Amino acid sequence: MTDTDPLVRFSGVRKTYGTFEAVKHLDLDIGRGEFVAIMGPSGCGKTTTLRMLAGLEEPTAGEITIDGKRMNEVSAHDRDTPLVWQSLALFPFLNVKENVEFGLKMRGVSKPDRHGRAMLWLERLGLKGFETRRIDQLSGGQRQRVALARSLVTEPRMLLLDEPLSALDAHLVIRMQGVLTRLQKELGITFVYVTHSQSEAFAMADRVVIMGHGEIAQIGKPQEIFRAPKNRFVAEFVGRNNILPGKTPGQEIVVAADRMQVSASDPGEGALPAEFLSEEFAGTGIICYFEGPEGVELKAQVTEDQLENLAPEPGQRFWLTWAPGAAHVMAGT
Amino acid sequence: MRPSDIAFRLYLVALFTFVFLPILTSMVFSLNSDRFPTVPLGEFTTHWYKTAFSRPEVWTAFGNSLIVAVCAAALSTALGFVTAYTDFRYGFRFKPAYLALALLPPTIPLVIMGLAMLAWLGRLGISGTLSGIVVAHTVMGAPFAMAICRLRLSQMDPALEAAAWNLGASQWRAMRAVVIPFCLPALISAYCLTAAVSFDEFIVAWFVSGLNKTVPVMILEILQGNVDPQINAIGTVVFLTSMALVIVAQLLILRKTNA
Repeated sequence: MTDTDPLVRFSGVRKTYGTFEAVKHLDLDIGRGEFVAIMGPSGCGKTTTLRMLAGLEEPTAGEITIDGKRMNEVSAHDRDTPLVWQSLALFPFLNVKENVEFGLKMRGVSKPDRHGRAMLWLERLGLKGFETRRIDQLSGGQRQRVALARSLVTEPRMLLLDEPLSALDAHLVIRMQGVLTRLQKELGITFVYVTHSQSEAFAMADRVVIMGHGEIAQIGKPQEIFRAPKNRFVAEFVGRNNILPGKTPGQEIVVAADRMQVSASDPGEGALPAEFLSEEFAGTGIICYFEGPEGVELKAQVTEDQLENLAPEPGQRFWLTWAPGAAHVMAGT
Repeated sequence: MRPSDIAFRLYLVALFTFVFLPILTSMVFSLNSDRFPTVPLGEFTTHWYKTAFSRPEVWTAFGNSLIVAVCAAALSTALGFVTAYTDFRYGFRFKPAYLALALLPPTIPLVIMGLAMLAWLGRLGISGTLSGIVVAHTVMGAPFAMAICRLRLSQMDPALEAAAWNLGASQWRAMRAVVIPFCLPALISAYCLTAAVSFDEFIVAWFVSGLNKTVPVMILEILQGNVDPQINAIGTVVFLTSMALVIVAQLLILRKTNA
């Protein structure tokens, strides 16, 4: 076993519930110390994949190995795969410290040792002084950190996270993203992060796995997935992409909204005539929506200044252009 | 106060009067010196309590009732919890039928239940023993315990138990460390309620108790002989005991739950 071998390997993994195929066929390697985000719409099989890794579901076919060891028959409590739950699943009848100590207690760690390690992690996550609080006396962000401390206190090689930030307020999400990336870098352990949120996945992950209909649609670095989606499913899921017919029949190209230029007069060849529909403020800029040829919806991101200059009226005609390098030709559909 | 509020309050007073007046009357007469329940009342006395509780058979009956209630409540609660947990945790083909059967006993007419128990326990050779009454009262109490435990389990995040496994707890360990602590208020509540059911139950106990009489059976036997204010005294004690159990049960069920 060397450090370059993957920590986790899914080979030909399939999971069915009756006639429903939650995961059709999954081949995926996850490296040591890697932050992998598994992303996809609901029902795409991402949570099932995570649960199989934690041993909460058994694959119908295929094999999951951790550190080269077959895990299919290993029950959940014998694995070292702590999970941060979407609901957090903190124990309401235990206080903060007892929650954090739980995993150690189950592993038979002595009481003084448990106490020391729990206190260390509580301090590390900024929860010092909250030891004896009840769970219902904590804020959302504090509960989140208790859940993290509870999972990390056993010093696992890998942490699984199932949409852990979905219940938080927007400003807390950004802060927790910082906490998570920092922790992952400091600990050097593998994070497997399941989410439907593109911004969370792209902000934190080294590698993003996009799943759709129980299969992997694309794996790559966030930038790759954003700029070079492999197919229509990924391009649409990632969003803010224009999907246009390519030069040859059946071919499609993708132009990201922030690489689309809008002009009020026809600049000549290659420009796409489009009627303005509406605009939407989107944090980084303003997304303008247009109706292009054959009713295709087009998006272009502009700055506030640009919007003022264009002063678009609904129904007004504009021309959209893009630099040749901005267009990405998709491999399949 | 609006007229509708006044009407509502009056309605509540009328309701509680209707429900509790007979019991209250019995309590009042238990402290009344006259032998017959008549107004105007005689003097205040604890005589009937002293007489009643100087009789050894009254103490025996209370002892029997207590043993039966303690044992039947424990068994009912255990059975009820296990049934509720199987419903919570597993999906299986005949689940609706399973649940319907589990909730059936309270709908069986008590006389039928008593006769059936007498026949059945007779076959087993425990008719007329305290164990027989315990079995009968367990059957009668388990559905109530199950209902209370199901209510509590429905408030439990299903991820809670899985979180325990995920943190290294085996199924049994997770049951002990997570499911039971989570359900503890419901378990105590179910215990109190089924103890009260057993303590008060008369008809089935009358069929199967034989010579080992419980308090309600003994009350009826005294009553068959003559009208005696001692009944009021014993009845008041029985009522207060079960009332206390039911109040504890209610407080635990209604307590603000933090799931």
